[in-house]
Amino acid sequence: MMKIKAFFLILAFSAIGSQLAAQDVLSPSRKQAIDSLALEKVRDLSKYISIIGNKDTPWSEANRVIERTLELFADGAMMGVSSINREEVNYYGVREYLERLMALNYDRVNIQWYNIQYISDLERQPDGKYVGVITIYQRFEGVTKEGLKYVDVTKKDVTVYVERKTTQISGRIIGFWDVMLGDIRVTETKPGN
Amino acid sequence: MHKFRLLLISLALLPGLLPAQSFNSLLGDESILHAQTKQVNQFFRRFNAEESTSGDRYFPGDKDYRNSDLRKRYLGILFDNQNASITDPLKLSFIEDVMRPAQPHFLDFHGGQWFTEVLTEFTYMGKKTPVTIYMKLEEENQGYKWVITNVYLSSFHEMFHNLGKDDQRFLHPMSHELDFMNLVRVFKDKAYVEQYTASDYHPDYLTLFLYEFKKGNLVFNTVKDVKFHFFQVPGWYFELSEFNRPGTNAGWLISGLMKINDNDKELLLKYLYHE
Repeated sequence: MMKIKAFFLILAFSAIGSQLAAQDVLSPSRKQAIDSLALEKVRDLSKYISIIGNKDTPWSEANRVIERTLELFADGAMMGVSSINREEVNYYGVREYLERLMALNYDRVNIQWYNIQYISDLERQPDGKYVGVITIYQRFEGVTKEGLKYVDVTKKDVTVYVERKTTQISGRIIGFWDVMLGDIRVTETKPGN
Repeated sequence: MHKFRLLLISLALLPGLLPAQSFNSLLGDESILHAQTKQVNQFFRRFNAEESTSGDRYFPGDKDYRNSDLRKRYLGILFDNQNASITDPLKLSFIEDVMRPAQPHFLDFHGGQWFTEVLTEFTYMGKKTPVTIYMKLEEENQGYKWVITNVYLSSFHEMFHNLGKDDQRFLHPMSHELDFMNLVRVFKDKAYVEQYTASDYHPDYLTLFLYEFKKGNLVFNTVKDVKFHFFQVPGWYFELSEFNRPGTNAGWLISGLMKINDNDKELLLKYLYHE
Protein backbone atom coordinates (compact mmCIF):
# COMPACT_ATOMS: atom_id res chain seq x y z
CA MET A 1 0.00 0.00 0.00
CA MET A 2 2.82 2.31 1.02
CA LYS A 3 4.69 1.54 -2.20
CA ILE A 4 1.61 2.21 -4.32
CA LYS A 5 1.14 5.56 -2.57
CA ALA A 6 4.80 6.43 -3.14
CA PHE A 7 4.47 5.51 -6.81
CA PHE A 8 1.52 7.85 -7.28
CA LEU A 9 3.34 10.61 -5.43
CA ILE A 10 6.27 10.17 -7.75
CA LEU A 11 4.02 10.44 -10.77
CA ALA A 12 2.23 13.45 -9.31
CA PHE A 13 5.48 15.24 -8.74
CA SER A 14 7.02 14.25 -12.03
CA ALA A 15 4.09 16.04 -13.67
CA ILE A 16 4.85 19.14 -11.66
CA GLY A 17 8.56 18.69 -12.30
CA SER A 18 8.26 18.42 -16.05
CA GLN A 19 6.56 21.80 -16.26
CA LEU A 20 9.54 23.69 -15.00
CA ALA A 21 13.08 23.71 -16.21
CA ALA A 22 14.62 24.97 -12.99
CA GLN A 23 14.00 21.78 -11.03
CA ASP A 24 15.19 22.87 -7.64
CA VAL A 25 13.55 26.28 -7.41
CA LEU A 26 10.41 26.27 -5.28
CA SER A 27 7.58 28.32 -6.75
CA PRO A 28 4.59 29.07 -4.47
CA SER A 29 2.47 26.39 -6.18
CA ARG A 30 5.22 23.82 -5.89
CA LYS A 31 5.77 24.77 -2.28
CA GLN A 32 2.08 24.18 -1.60
CA ALA A 33 2.30 20.74 -3.21
CA ILE A 34 5.34 19.89 -1.11
CA ASP A 35 3.65 21.27 2.02
CA SER A 36 0.77 18.83 1.43
CA LEU A 37 3.17 15.95 1.04
CA ALA A 38 5.04 16.97 4.22
CA LEU A 39 1.79 17.39 6.09
CA GLU A 40 0.74 13.91 5.03
CA LYS A 41 3.94 12.50 6.55
CA VAL A 42 3.32 14.42 9.77
CA ARG A 43 -0.25 13.09 9.85
CA ASP A 44 1.11 9.58 9.40
CA LEU A 45 3.43 10.24 12.33
CA SER A 46 0.51 11.49 14.47
CA LYS A 47 -1.51 8.41 13.59
CA TYR A 48 1.36 6.05 14.40
CA ILE A 49 2.06 7.76 17.73
CA SER A 50 -1.59 7.34 18.71
CA ILE A 51 -1.45 3.63 17.81
CA ILE A 52 1.85 3.03 19.63
CA GLY A 53 0.65 4.83 22.75
CA ASN A 54 -2.73 3.07 22.82
CA LYS A 55 -2.80 0.35 25.49
CA ASP A 56 -5.23 -1.69 23.39
CA THR A 57 -2.64 -2.07 20.62
CA PRO A 58 -1.06 -5.55 20.78
CA TRP A 59 2.68 -5.51 21.51
CA SER A 60 3.60 -7.05 18.13
CA GLU A 61 1.44 -4.54 16.25
CA ALA A 62 2.95 -1.61 18.18
CA ASN A 63 6.43 -2.85 17.27
CA ARG A 64 5.44 -3.12 13.63
CA VAL A 65 4.13 0.45 13.71
CA ILE A 66 7.36 1.64 15.34
CA GLU A 67 9.26 0.21 12.35
CA ARG A 68 6.82 1.96 10.02
CA THR A 69 7.27 5.22 11.92
CA LEU A 70 11.04 5.04 11.68
CA GLU A 71 10.72 4.85 7.88
CA LEU A 72 9.39 8.42 7.95
CA PHE A 73 12.59 9.77 9.50
CA ALA A 74 16.01 10.66 8.19
CA ASP A 75 18.89 8.78 9.84
CA GLY A 76 19.96 10.08 13.22
CA ALA A 77 16.81 12.11 13.91
CA MET A 78 16.31 12.98 17.56
CA MET A 79 13.50 14.02 19.87
CA GLY A 80 14.31 16.94 22.20
CA VAL A 81 11.88 16.97 25.10
CA SER A 82 11.27 19.57 27.81
CA SER A 83 8.44 20.26 30.24
CA ILE A 84 7.03 23.34 31.91
CA ASN A 85 8.87 22.55 35.15
CA ARG A 86 12.11 21.52 33.47
CA GLU A 87 13.52 24.02 31.01
CA GLU A 88 16.44 21.91 29.77
CA VAL A 89 16.01 19.67 26.74
CA ASN A 90 16.37 15.89 27.14
CA TYR A 91 17.43 14.08 23.99
CA TYR A 92 16.12 10.72 22.77
CA GLY A 93 16.56 8.77 19.56
CA VAL A 94 13.22 8.35 17.72
CA ARG A 95 13.12 4.59 18.40
CA GLU A 96 13.89 5.14 22.08
CA TYR A 97 11.17 7.79 22.33
CA LEU A 98 8.58 5.52 20.69
CA GLU A 99 9.57 2.52 22.81
CA ARG A 100 9.24 4.64 25.95
CA LEU A 101 5.80 5.75 24.75
CA MET A 102 4.81 2.12 24.22
CA ALA A 103 6.03 1.13 27.68
CA LEU A 104 4.36 3.95 29.64
CA ASN A 105 2.92 2.63 32.86
CA TYR A 106 -0.73 3.58 32.42
CA ASP A 107 -3.78 1.42 32.28
CA ARG A 108 -5.39 3.60 29.63
CA VAL A 109 -3.82 6.12 27.28
CA ASN A 110 -5.68 8.51 25.03
CA ILE A 111 -3.69 10.59 22.53
CA GLN A 112 -5.53 13.27 20.59
CA TRP A 113 -4.29 15.79 18.08
CA TYR A 114 -5.50 19.36 17.85
CA ASN A 115 -6.92 20.31 14.50
CA ILE A 116 -4.13 22.80 13.99
CA GLN A 117 -0.84 22.75 12.18
CA TYR A 118 1.54 25.52 11.26
CA ILE A 119 3.82 25.09 8.27
CA SER A 120 6.91 27.25 7.99
CA ASP A 121 8.61 28.41 4.82
CA LEU A 122 11.03 25.97 3.24
CA GLU A 123 14.59 27.26 3.45
CA ARG A 124 17.41 26.00 1.29
CA GLN A 125 20.42 24.52 3.10
CA PRO A 126 24.00 24.68 1.82
CA ASP A 127 23.72 21.02 0.64
CA GLY A 128 20.79 21.90 -1.67
CA LYS A 129 18.08 20.23 0.41
CA TYR A 130 15.21 22.31 1.73
CA VAL A 131 14.22 22.37 5.37
CA GLY A 132 11.04 23.48 7.09
CA VAL A 133 9.23 22.99 10.37
CA ILE A 134 5.65 21.85 10.91
CA THR A 135 4.16 22.58 14.32
CA ILE A 136 1.41 20.34 15.70
CA TYR A 137 -0.19 19.97 19.13
CA GLN A 138 -0.97 16.77 21.01
CA ARG A 139 -3.10 16.12 24.06
CA PHE A 140 -2.01 13.10 26.09
CA GLU A 141 -4.14 11.53 28.78
CA GLY A 142 -2.97 8.59 30.84
CA VAL A 143 -4.99 6.88 33.55
CA THR A 144 -3.37 4.54 36.08
CA LYS A 145 -4.94 1.35 37.48
CA GLU A 146 -5.79 3.36 40.58
CA GLY A 147 -7.70 5.85 38.45
CA LEU A 148 -5.14 8.67 38.73
CA LYS A 149 -5.19 10.81 35.62
CA TYR A 150 -2.20 12.54 34.01
CA VAL A 151 -2.87 15.04 31.23
CA ASP A 152 -0.45 17.13 29.20
CA VAL A 153 -0.51 19.17 26.02
CA THR A 154 2.68 19.19 23.99
CA LYS A 155 3.76 21.32 21.06
CA LYS A 156 5.70 19.28 18.54
CA ASP A 157 7.94 21.17 16.11
CA VAL A 158 8.75 18.63 13.42
CA THR A 159 11.69 19.19 11.05
CA VAL A 160 10.90 18.38 7.43
CA TYR A 161 13.62 17.81 4.83
CA VAL A 162 12.72 18.10 1.17
CA GLU A 163 15.08 16.83 -1.45
CA ARG A 164 14.95 16.67 -5.22
CA LYS A 165 15.55 13.08 -6.36
CA THR A 166 15.25 11.12 -9.57
CA THR A 167 14.10 7.62 -10.33
CA GLN A 168 13.85 5.52 -13.47
CA ILE A 169 10.47 4.19 -14.55
CA SER A 170 10.23 2.27 -17.85
CA GLY A 171 13.51 3.73 -18.99
CA ARG A 172 12.44 7.31 -18.29
CA ILE A 173 14.20 9.38 -15.66
CA ILE A 174 11.60 11.07 -13.55
CA GLY A 175 12.23 13.72 -10.94
CA PHE A 176 10.34 13.95 -7.69
CA TRP A 177 10.52 15.68 -4.33
CA ASP A 178 11.21 13.35 -1.43
CA VAL A 179 10.15 14.35 2.06
CA MET A 180 11.76 12.99 5.22
CA LEU A 181 11.13 13.94 8.82
CA GLY A 182 14.03 15.07 11.03
CA ASP A 183 14.50 16.19 14.62
CA ILE A 184 11.40 16.91 16.68
CA ARG A 185 11.30 19.42 19.51
CA VAL A 186 8.66 18.48 22.07
CA THR A 187 7.62 21.23 24.49
CA GLU A 188 4.97 20.92 27.15
CA THR A 189 2.57 23.82 26.84
CA LYS A 190 -0.49 25.18 28.57
CA PRO A 191 -2.81 26.67 25.96
CA GLY A 192 -5.67 27.53 28.33
CA ASN A 193 -6.08 28.58 31.92
CA MET B 1 -16.91 25.74 11.13
CA HIS B 2 -13.87 27.04 9.29
CA LYS B 3 -15.45 30.48 8.90
CA PHE B 4 -16.38 30.49 12.55
CA ARG B 5 -12.79 29.79 13.52
CA LEU B 6 -11.53 32.56 11.23
CA LEU B 7 -13.94 34.96 12.86
CA LEU B 8 -12.68 34.01 16.29
CA ILE B 9 -9.07 34.43 15.26
CA SER B 10 -9.88 37.80 13.75
CA LEU B 11 -11.33 38.80 17.10
CA ALA B 12 -8.10 37.73 18.75
CA LEU B 13 -6.31 40.19 16.51
CA LEU B 14 -8.23 43.10 17.91
CA PRO B 15 -6.23 43.86 21.06
CA GLY B 16 -8.21 45.12 23.97
CA LEU B 17 -11.52 44.02 22.58
CA LEU B 18 -11.76 40.97 24.78
CA PRO B 19 -9.77 40.22 27.91
CA ALA B 20 -7.76 36.97 27.74
CA GLN B 21 -9.87 35.28 30.44
CA SER B 22 -13.16 35.62 28.64
CA PHE B 23 -11.44 34.65 25.41
CA ASN B 24 -10.28 31.37 26.96
CA SER B 25 -13.60 30.46 28.48
CA LEU B 26 -15.49 31.28 25.30
CA LEU B 27 -13.35 29.57 22.75
CA GLY B 28 -11.34 26.84 24.36
CA ASP B 29 -7.78 25.76 23.71
CA GLU B 30 -7.62 25.36 19.97
CA SER B 31 -8.41 28.98 19.13
CA ILE B 32 -5.81 30.11 21.65
CA LEU B 33 -3.22 27.99 19.87
CA HIS B 34 -4.24 29.59 16.59
CA ALA B 35 -3.72 33.04 18.04
CA GLN B 36 -0.29 32.29 19.57
CA THR B 37 2.77 33.04 17.46
CA LYS B 38 3.94 29.45 17.16
CA GLN B 39 7.20 29.81 15.25
CA VAL B 40 9.79 32.53 14.65
CA ASN B 41 8.81 32.05 11.01
CA GLN B 42 5.25 33.01 11.93
CA PHE B 43 6.57 36.08 13.78
CA PHE B 44 8.23 37.20 10.52
CA ARG B 45 5.08 36.55 8.51
CA ARG B 46 2.80 38.31 10.96
CA PHE B 47 5.19 41.24 11.34
CA ASN B 48 5.12 41.67 7.56
CA ALA B 49 1.44 40.65 7.12
CA GLU B 50 2.40 37.78 4.85
CA GLU B 51 -0.11 35.24 6.10
CA SER B 52 -3.85 34.99 6.63
CA THR B 53 -5.39 34.78 10.08
CA SER B 54 -5.66 31.03 9.58
CA GLY B 55 -1.90 30.81 8.98
CA ASP B 56 -1.91 30.39 5.19
CA ARG B 57 1.06 31.98 3.46
CA TYR B 58 0.49 35.03 1.27
CA PHE B 59 2.86 35.42 -1.65
CA PRO B 60 3.75 38.59 -3.60
CA GLY B 61 0.83 39.27 -5.92
CA ASP B 62 -1.80 37.90 -3.51
CA LYS B 63 -4.52 40.45 -2.71
CA ASP B 64 -3.76 40.72 1.01
CA TYR B 65 0.02 40.32 0.81
CA ARG B 66 1.44 42.93 3.24
CA ASN B 67 -2.01 44.50 3.60
CA SER B 68 -1.64 47.51 5.95
CA ASP B 69 -4.85 46.94 7.92
CA LEU B 70 -3.95 43.34 8.57
CA ARG B 71 -0.40 44.36 9.39
CA LYS B 72 -1.50 46.93 11.93
CA ARG B 73 -3.62 44.32 13.71
CA TYR B 74 -0.82 41.77 13.63
CA LEU B 75 1.79 44.23 14.94
CA GLY B 76 -0.49 44.98 17.88
CA ILE B 77 -0.40 41.38 19.11
CA LEU B 78 3.31 40.75 18.69
CA PHE B 79 4.40 42.32 21.98
CA ASP B 80 4.73 40.76 25.43
CA ASN B 81 1.84 42.50 27.17
CA GLN B 82 3.24 41.70 30.60
CA ASN B 83 6.39 43.74 30.02
CA ALA B 84 5.85 47.16 31.60
CA SER B 85 8.96 48.62 29.93
CA ILE B 86 7.26 48.32 26.54
CA THR B 87 4.90 51.23 27.04
CA ASP B 88 1.96 51.95 24.76
CA PRO B 89 3.50 55.20 23.37
CA LEU B 90 6.76 53.35 22.62
CA LYS B 91 4.88 50.51 20.95
CA LEU B 92 2.80 52.96 18.94
CA SER B 93 5.84 54.92 17.83
CA PHE B 94 7.50 51.68 16.66
CA ILE B 95 4.40 50.55 14.77
CA GLU B 96 4.07 53.97 13.13
CA ASP B 97 7.72 53.81 12.07
CA VAL B 98 7.54 50.34 10.53
CA MET B 99 4.26 51.16 8.79
CA ARG B 100 5.28 54.58 7.47
CA PRO B 101 3.45 54.68 4.10
CA ALA B 102 6.35 56.33 2.26
CA GLN B 103 8.89 53.83 3.57
CA PRO B 104 7.50 50.84 5.45
CA HIS B 105 10.00 48.47 7.05
CA PHE B 106 9.65 44.72 6.74
CA LEU B 107 11.66 41.96 8.35
CA ASP B 108 13.83 39.92 6.02
CA PHE B 109 14.90 36.44 7.13
CA HIS B 110 17.98 36.66 4.91
CA GLY B 111 18.59 40.36 5.49
CA GLY B 112 21.18 40.11 8.28
CA GLN B 113 21.11 42.58 11.17
CA TRP B 114 19.63 39.97 13.49
CA PHE B 115 21.18 37.17 15.49
CA THR B 116 20.36 34.64 18.14
CA GLU B 117 21.53 34.20 21.71
CA VAL B 118 21.23 30.61 22.92
CA LEU B 119 21.68 29.85 26.60
CA THR B 120 23.14 26.37 26.96
CA GLU B 121 24.59 24.27 29.71
CA PHE B 122 27.94 22.54 29.45
CA THR B 123 29.96 20.63 31.98
CA TYR B 124 33.25 22.51 32.27
CA MET B 125 36.02 20.88 34.24
CA GLY B 126 33.41 18.63 35.87
CA LYS B 127 31.08 21.48 36.86
CA LYS B 128 27.73 22.46 35.27
CA THR B 129 28.38 25.79 33.57
CA PRO B 130 26.10 28.12 31.59
CA VAL B 131 27.45 29.05 28.17
CA THR B 132 25.82 31.62 25.91
CA ILE B 133 26.27 30.90 22.21
CA TYR B 134 25.68 33.68 19.67
CA MET B 135 24.81 32.72 16.11
CA LYS B 136 23.88 34.36 12.82
CA LEU B 137 22.62 33.13 9.47
CA GLU B 138 25.29 32.74 6.83
CA GLU B 139 24.85 32.11 3.13
CA GLU B 140 26.63 29.19 1.47
CA ASN B 141 26.00 27.57 -1.92
CA GLN B 142 22.75 29.53 -2.34
CA GLY B 143 21.54 28.05 0.94
CA TYR B 144 21.75 29.24 4.53
CA LYS B 145 23.01 27.92 7.83
CA TRP B 146 23.34 29.17 11.41
CA VAL B 147 26.97 29.76 12.38
CA ILE B 148 28.52 30.46 15.77
CA THR B 149 29.94 33.98 15.97
CA ASN B 150 30.76 34.32 19.65
CA VAL B 151 30.39 32.70 23.06
CA TYR B 152 30.11 33.94 26.61
CA LEU B 153 31.40 31.87 29.46
CA SER B 154 31.89 33.85 32.67
CA SER B 155 35.06 32.06 33.71
CA PHE B 156 36.72 33.00 30.40
CA HIS B 157 35.88 36.65 30.96
CA GLU B 158 37.06 36.50 34.57
CA MET B 159 40.35 35.11 33.28
CA PHE B 160 40.93 38.34 31.36
CA HIS B 161 39.44 40.75 33.86
CA ASN B 162 42.68 42.73 34.24
CA LEU B 163 42.75 43.61 30.57
CA GLY B 164 42.64 47.35 29.95
CA LYS B 165 43.10 48.26 33.58
CA ASP B 166 45.66 50.99 34.25
CA ASP B 167 48.65 49.41 35.76
CA GLN B 168 52.37 49.79 35.97
CA ARG B 169 53.08 46.38 34.50
CA PHE B 170 54.97 46.55 31.21
CA LEU B 171 58.21 45.50 29.54
CA HIS B 172 60.38 48.60 29.50
CA PRO B 173 61.49 49.88 26.08
CA MET B 174 65.10 48.76 26.48
CA SER B 175 64.26 45.17 27.31
CA HIS B 176 65.62 44.03 23.97
CA GLU B 177 69.12 44.97 25.04
CA LEU B 178 68.83 42.39 27.81
CA ASP B 179 67.61 39.66 25.48
CA PHE B 180 64.20 40.10 27.11
CA MET B 181 65.46 38.40 30.22
CA ASN B 182 62.68 40.25 32.10
CA LEU B 183 60.04 38.05 30.45
CA VAL B 184 60.46 35.98 33.55
CA ARG B 185 58.55 38.73 35.37
CA VAL B 186 55.72 38.67 32.78
CA PHE B 187 55.05 34.99 33.28
CA LYS B 188 55.48 34.97 37.01
CA ASP B 189 51.88 35.87 37.80
CA LYS B 190 48.89 34.40 35.90
CA ALA B 191 46.56 37.19 36.98
CA TYR B 192 48.31 40.00 35.11
CA VAL B 193 49.85 38.44 32.02
CA GLU B 194 47.24 40.05 29.71
CA GLN B 195 48.51 43.51 30.69
CA TYR B 196 51.65 42.86 28.66
CA THR B 197 49.67 42.54 25.41
CA ALA B 198 49.14 45.23 22.75
CA SER B 199 46.45 47.83 23.34
CA ASP B 200 44.35 46.46 20.45
CA TYR B 201 44.43 42.92 21.77
CA HIS B 202 41.02 41.30 22.38
CA PRO B 203 40.74 37.77 23.68
CA ASP B 204 39.05 35.47 21.19
CA TYR B 205 36.64 33.64 23.45
CA LEU B 206 35.27 31.50 20.65
CA THR B 207 38.72 30.04 19.93
CA LEU B 208 39.23 29.49 23.63
CA PHE B 209 35.86 27.74 23.82
CA LEU B 210 36.62 25.49 20.84
CA TYR B 211 40.05 24.69 22.26
CA GLU B 212 38.59 23.67 25.62
CA PHE B 213 35.91 21.63 23.88
CA LYS B 214 38.45 19.82 21.72
CA LYS B 215 40.61 19.15 24.78
CA GLY B 216 37.57 17.42 26.32
CA ASN B 217 37.23 19.95 29.13
CA LEU B 218 33.81 21.15 27.91
CA VAL B 219 30.95 18.70 27.40
CA PHE B 220 27.58 19.81 26.02
CA ASN B 221 24.52 19.07 28.18
CA THR B 222 21.48 20.95 26.96
CA VAL B 223 19.81 24.06 25.56
CA LYS B 224 17.99 26.14 28.16
CA ASP B 225 16.74 29.27 26.42
CA VAL B 226 16.72 30.99 23.04
CA LYS B 227 16.19 34.62 22.13
CA PHE B 228 16.80 36.82 19.10
CA HIS B 229 18.11 40.36 18.72
CA PHE B 230 16.87 42.44 15.80
CA PHE B 231 18.49 45.57 14.37
CA GLN B 232 16.70 45.41 10.99
CA VAL B 233 14.34 48.33 11.61
CA PRO B 234 16.38 51.56 11.28
CA GLY B 235 16.49 53.47 14.58
CA TRP B 236 15.14 50.55 16.60
CA TYR B 237 16.26 47.46 18.47
CA PHE B 238 13.98 44.73 19.64
CA GLU B 239 14.38 41.40 21.38
CA LEU B 240 12.27 38.35 20.52
CA SER B 241 11.60 35.65 23.14
CA GLU B 242 9.28 32.69 23.47
CA PHE B 243 6.59 32.79 26.16
CA ASN B 244 5.21 29.39 27.07
CA ARG B 245 2.15 30.43 29.06
CA PRO B 246 -1.62 30.18 28.90
CA GLY B 247 -3.64 32.65 26.85
CA THR B 248 -3.29 34.30 23.49
CA ASN B 249 -0.37 36.59 24.40
CA ALA B 250 2.08 33.71 24.15
CA GLY B 251 4.58 32.16 21.78
CA TRP B 252 7.23 34.30 20.07
CA LEU B 253 6.76 37.92 21.15
CA ILE B 254 8.75 41.14 21.32
CA SER B 255 10.21 41.08 24.83
CA GLY B 256 12.28 44.27 24.64
CA LEU B 257 12.04 47.42 22.53
CA MET B 258 14.38 50.40 22.33
CA LYS B 259 14.81 53.46 20.14
CA ILE B 260 18.51 53.62 19.27
CA ASN B 261 20.98 55.61 17.22
CA ASP B 262 24.22 54.25 15.74
CA ASN B 263 26.26 54.99 18.88
CA ASP B 264 23.67 53.29 21.07
CA LYS B 265 23.77 50.30 18.76
CA GLU B 266 27.50 49.79 19.29
CA LEU B 267 27.08 50.08 23.04
CA LEU B 268 24.11 47.75 23.05
CA LEU B 269 25.96 45.14 21.00
CA LYS B 270 28.84 45.28 23.50
CA TYR B 271 26.35 44.83 26.30
CA LEU B 272 24.67 41.87 24.59
CA TYR B 273 28.04 40.23 24.00
CA HIS B 274 29.12 40.90 27.62
CA GLU B 275 32.11 42.90 26.34
